[in-house]
Amino acid sequence: MKFINKLHKTIGASLAVAALIGTPVQAHHSFAMYDMQNVRVFTGVVTRVDPAPNHLAIFFAPMNEERKNVLRDENGEPIIWSVEMGGSAQMARQGVSVNSFPQGTVFSVGMHALRNGENAGSREGGMFKCPERTPPAPGMHCDSVEGSIQIGTEPLAEATLD
Amino acid sequence: MQVVRKGRFALAAIAVLFTTSLSLTGTYGQETAQMDFESVGRGWPLAADANDYEVTGATFRGGFFQPGVERTFLGGAMGGEAPEGVEPLERDLFTSDDFYADRELWSDPRYFRCNSSAAIEDLWGANATGNQIMGDNPPATAPWGKCENDYPVEAIVSPYPFETAQEHYEALLEETRSRGGPTQHTYATVPGEWTGIYAHPGRTNEYWYKMRYNQMPTILSLLTEEYQTYYVQEAYHHGNTNAPQWQSQYCWPEGFTRRFHEFAVWEHYFTVTPNMVQIVAGVARNFITNIHIGREFNTEGVVPRLGEDVPRWYGETIGFWDGDALITWTSNIQGWKNHAAPEHSSKMQTIEIYTPNHDDAGNFTGLNHETIFYDPEVWVKPVRIVRNLQKQNDYDDPDATPYVFVECIQSIFPIDGRATPVSHGQVIEYEIPDMYGRPWAHYWDQYFEQDMEKPEEEDIFSFE
Repeated sequence: MKFINKLHKTIGASLAVAALIGTPVQAHHSFAMYDMQNVRVFTGVVTRVDPAPNHLAIFFAPMNEERKNVLRDENGEPIIWSVEMGGSAQMARQGVSVNSFPQGTVFSVGMHALRNGENAGSREGGMFKCPERTPPAPGMHCDSVEGSIQIGTEPLAEATLD
Repeated sequence: MQVVRKGRFALAAIAVLFTTSLSLTGTYGQETAQMDFESVGRGWPLAADANDYEVTGATFRGGFFQPGVERTFLGGAMGGEAPEGVEPLERDLFTSDDFYADRELWSDPRYFRCNSSAAIEDLWGANATGNQIMGDNPPATAPWGKCENDYPVEAIVSPYPFETAQEHYEALLEETRSRGGPTQHTYATVPGEWTGIYAHPGRTNEYWYKMRYNQMPTILSLLTEEYQTYYVQEAYHHGNTNAPQWQSQYCWPEGFTRRFHEFAVWEHYFTVTPNMVQIVAGVARNFITNIHIGREFNTEGVVPRLGEDVPRWYGETIGFWDGDALITWTSNIQGWKNHAAPEHSSKMQTIEIYTPNHDDAGNFTGLNHETIFYDPEVWVKPVRIVRNLQKQNDYDDPDATPYVFVECIQSIFPIDGRATPVSHGQVIEYEIPDMYGRPWAHYWDQYFEQDMEKPEEEDIFSFE
């Protein structure tokens, strides 16, 4: 039964991905490395968009609680996360591209993070881009900022984990 | 003949290349397109034919790489000594510990010891020609090229009055309309003789973009400040630190401008239909150019494009026929690098014109390929490359070599910033590169430029 439960969870996770990227059968890797039971929500500063044809990824530095800078490691270097989503062409149709998310863009996104605790995840729910160089108020996300741009039709996901 | 003794059969292919590339006896002159009218934007004559010029060096001619040719030094002087009559600088690329600090010297060919960028690349043996050319105390004993050799800027820049590729394309389209075109070819009328295999253009043409004919400052004078820095940065790590970071050594994407590099693409395979012309070429990677006849670009984005707002490594290309001439426009190209040549930006666009060449008897012999590069982030003026592609086979010729699709499997990795072949089972420390952030420069920065005064980077993380 445990196996069946796990199978159901895996199928559920796959369906969640299907809802997100629309074409799960075209996924080029398993999403089973992600914790599909939980969601983390970040507001961060874009460092790079990788327009991979299969799964576009945004690399970003999560902002601190004050939204004045980014989280840093013991050496003072920004901590970098990545979030992957649909294919680059599909995401471009939603307004996510190298050109629309240049370095320095502040945005908010929900994700299913990796089970192993590393800094990556797969997108969950809607995404919001803050106006240029305009981060949200402390503790808030871009969906709270006037003039922000919504990506997709869904609201920003609700966090189940910090 | 020490080179012969040290030579390896694995380098045979390179040897074949150099047999022609350094011989300065390119099979074809740099004739521009054969045309029967004066166009607004194609086929204009070149200000100079590269075949009439000698490379700068420093390099060797002959020996293992050119069987039958006596091994001779081609350049100004060896052993770090300046050529007679040339006053060396106190500090140059080969003695400097910080090329950034030397910017005011970059406009002086002596800073580079009168070597072209391709010659600098070769000095430590990059293309297997430079054995022993660096002297007994490299890099200080690097040789000099010939300071008097230089291909004229007038023959590099575009002669046409257009500032953008779009302007150029639209003028050519309007001209074609005034001539009753564009020609709507059918399978019955399309120039089917184009279909087939064309000789390696690097072997059969001499042109400035081989980067062997120009002094470094001549090329630098055509670059924006940012890309001047990148160009000198690579030259420094070719000539001084001997830390080349070529894309194909890591199986990285080759990038658009490698189509024009001396060695990156060999035979070209053309397939011509009325609404699509496909060109396939490559060595370490596959280069596929799909020319969409009759399509139009979406011009609403950052750059014109055919599909979604996603940069493509080799861009997207549209075109039209004017009789049997094919006029094309490529845009939406992913910015990247070449080597021994300037990097290109994602804003780069090209106009490429393919015009048939015929011999005196009227037989089709190949294609004149004229390319104008528009990249305002890199080049202060549009530049032009003119080559002739010589047809050597039809696809059904019994001796035609089929195109070999390339799958590049990485076996060379950066270790301490230097490209190093590794064996299976070997464990190495490997940092994942930021592929869209000049990853080659990251290695230089991390391992060879720690003490240099680099330009400050913008702080994108602070919102204080």
